[in-house]
Amino acid sequence: MLDTIISVWATQQLTLRTIQHLSMFFIALSISIIIAIIAALLVYSNPRVGNIWFNILNVIETIPELALFIFLLPILGLGEPPTIAACVLYSILPIMRNTYTGLANVSNEYIEIAKAIGLTKNEILFKIRLPMALPLISGGIRVAVVYTMGIITLGGLIAAGGLGVPLQAGIHQYNIPAIIIASLWVGTLGVVFDAVAWIIENKLARRYNPW
Amino acid sequence: MKFDHVTKIYKETKAVDDVSFDICKGELFVLLGSSGSGKTTTLRLINRLIDPDEGTIYLNGNDTKDMNPVELRRRMGYVIQQIGLFPHMTVKENIGIIPKLERWKEEDISKRTNELLNLVALPPDYFRSRYPHQLSGGQQQRVGLARALAMDPPLLLMDEPFGALDPLLRMQLQNEFLSIKRKLEKTIVFVTHDIEEAFTLADRIGVMHNGKILQIGTPSELLFNPVNEIVSKIIGSENKFKAIKFLQAKDVMIPMDKKYLLQENMTCQEAVNIMISNKIELSIVKESNGDIKQVILSDLLKNEDMRRSINDFGRKLVIVPPDENLSSIITLLKSSNEKLAIVMNQNEIQGLVMIDSVLINLV
Amino acid sequence: MVALVFLIDAIIEQLSLVFTSLIIDICIAFPLAILSVFYKRFSYLVLTITNMAQAIPSFALVAIIVPLAGIGFLPGIVAIVLGSILPIIKNMYIGLTKTNPALIDSGRGMGLTDLQLVRYIRLPLAYPAIFAGLKFSAIIANGIAVLTAIIGSGGLGRIIFEGLASFNVNKTLSGAIPAILIALSLDLIFSIAEKKLKSKSVY
Repeated sequence: MLDTIISVWATQQLTLRTIQHLSMFFIALSISIIIAIIAALLVYSNPRVGNIWFNILNVIETIPELALFIFLLPILGLGEPPTIAACVLYSILPIMRNTYTGLANVSNEYIEIAKAIGLTKNEILFKIRLPMALPLISGGIRVAVVYTMGIITLGGLIAAGGLGVPLQAGIHQYNIPAIIIASLWVGTLGVVFDAVAWIIENKLARRYNPW
Repeated sequence: MKFDHVTKIYKETKAVDDVSFDICKGELFVLLGSSGSGKTTTLRLINRLIDPDEGTIYLNGNDTKDMNPVELRRRMGYVIQQIGLFPHMTVKENIGIIPKLERWKEEDISKRTNELLNLVALPPDYFRSRYPHQLSGGQQQRVGLARALAMDPPLLLMDEPFGALDPLLRMQLQNEFLSIKRKLEKTIVFVTHDIEEAFTLADRIGVMHNGKILQIGTPSELLFNPVNEIVSKIIGSENKFKAIKFLQAKDVMIPMDKKYLLQENMTCQEAVNIMISNKIELSIVKESNGDIKQVILSDLLKNEDMRRSINDFGRKLVIVPPDENLSSIITLLKSSNEKLAIVMNQNEIQGLVMIDSVLINLV
Repeated sequence: MVALVFLIDAIIEQLSLVFTSLIIDICIAFPLAILSVFYKRFSYLVLTITNMAQAIPSFALVAIIVPLAGIGFLPGIVAIVLGSILPIIKNMYIGLTKTNPALIDSGRGMGLTDLQLVRYIRLPLAYPAIFAGLKFSAIIANGIAVLTAIIGSGGLGRIIFEGLASFNVNKTLSGAIPAILIALSLDLIFSIAEKKLKSKSVY
């Protein structure tokens, strides 16, 4: 059995695929986090435009990932760019929504006292609201972690590399050992990353919202 | 600080209605009233958390409207019942947030934090790096006070800071707060609905009701001379007896009038003449050795040789410091079978406490 | 352009994949959620497994079905059910357990049994949460149903994959656009149902 694993690992180039997979994952997730938090801050300071954006993102969220790929292909071609773009499009909403909720829902007592001891509006936003929103933001990021993992795996279908490639090859060649090993490996990565995100979220939550 | 005909309207009701008063430097001014009386609104007008619809608030003679609210607030401490320590910051970060924003050096912030923690009786080494949720309610409120004092503001605004604590802890914190206040000599505006708290802490009290200030005065003025029914109801006549606990000698004394003082070694005849013309029956004699004695008219009249010195008739006297509370004065007088105590502040006669008149006022 | 009949076939396949899976989802999720309300340990187990499974990429889920169940429509259903059942269980459980304790108390005081409490109090009050879960599941089911075409389940994914293989952009679009329209209408239908239930139940 160990032999099978080793040979499948080698023939399917799983080390290389994992590296491709994870590098796409981290790039996509970083872009999502940056865009989403900036977008949330912008929407927070100008809530009127917020609803439009949230509605658009909500619609994107319902689109099947593969269908979204199809629409990105003419613009971005095959491979990594449409895959990463799709990850970002799906991940912005959960992070942005949670960030916005976190910023907006800081208990008034803290805002009052912050104002009263002489913090400016911007200082309140960055020193009080943003840090106090961290547990919620990390909750949004955790959702994005799962989305991103899933979509990058699908990227294998549009020549993006990553761990979707051995899955697709396995199915096409009806290579059962390859399917089993690759899917277990992808599944494990997904669960482990989610667990790490969960642990971070919990730690933050306990530190920032202990009540 | 001065309020000049200040009005604040919320949805057509006047939360603060044409309020005018002055607060003197260094005094602890209590705004006393039930909820909805406008006391908190008045407080929040001071640091411009809200702005008045009419009238002007002056700080050191300047209209606060012309000041930058952020700078204004950094010059005032603010302590509230909910405390509002930021849960994501340690005790040190909470206290040091404004100094940090003011770009103090890190070591200065540390030094200041330690100073303040010592002041509020929290050992810095133990508490500095803790998070608010690791502290008890009383400890949190101490940190809240320390944070308010971080920039050493000349003015401190406090909104029922001890309201959420249990009675025993409240009393303890009030006492600590009074001793801190004595050390710091700050002007304090303190909002409360608790009459006992107001009487324990206040130099002067402003009684608020339906957005208006009904009366401003020292605790004893309010107690003994309420301007109307509402004030006496708020102060509560049944509270007068409780007042024995927190009224102090200085609150109930009659300021010393020269007419009560007699020269040493006067003859009885001279003394009797003076006392009768002043319509008093009792005088104080300060002897050259520093002793203070009382001379009673009837003693002098009973004596047959009117040429004797009044020093021979001097009686011992109960002497109390100005912050002695009324109940212990009463106990002292009772045990020495006296009716009069003299209030002395370091060799200086400040006034007299005549227990009969005090008790009559209390009833 | 793809022949219209061909497209309609694919749409019907897609819808039957989605709705068959949803019905199976409900049939499985319902008893699990109700058992979870009564047995704390069981609920812990179910929720841990569902939470973990939610983190598994759907492609991996679809692929692992092949060695387990082969290829075709039914294996497709299995994959869709596995991928879409989680939100239903979770929301049902949350909906059923987050009932106002005072209501449970008063119901119990009136002499309702545990099962009657579920039937007359917990369940009706949980409808909005359950429908929110159903909506989410339907969207996920639609997404995975596109993907399961790769293991021969049929559906709109079939057209997309054929289009991709032959670099035929029009063909991929004629698969993708109906898939998106189905997603939007599922979202709309369930949102309306959710809103109606919410206005009925007094919170």
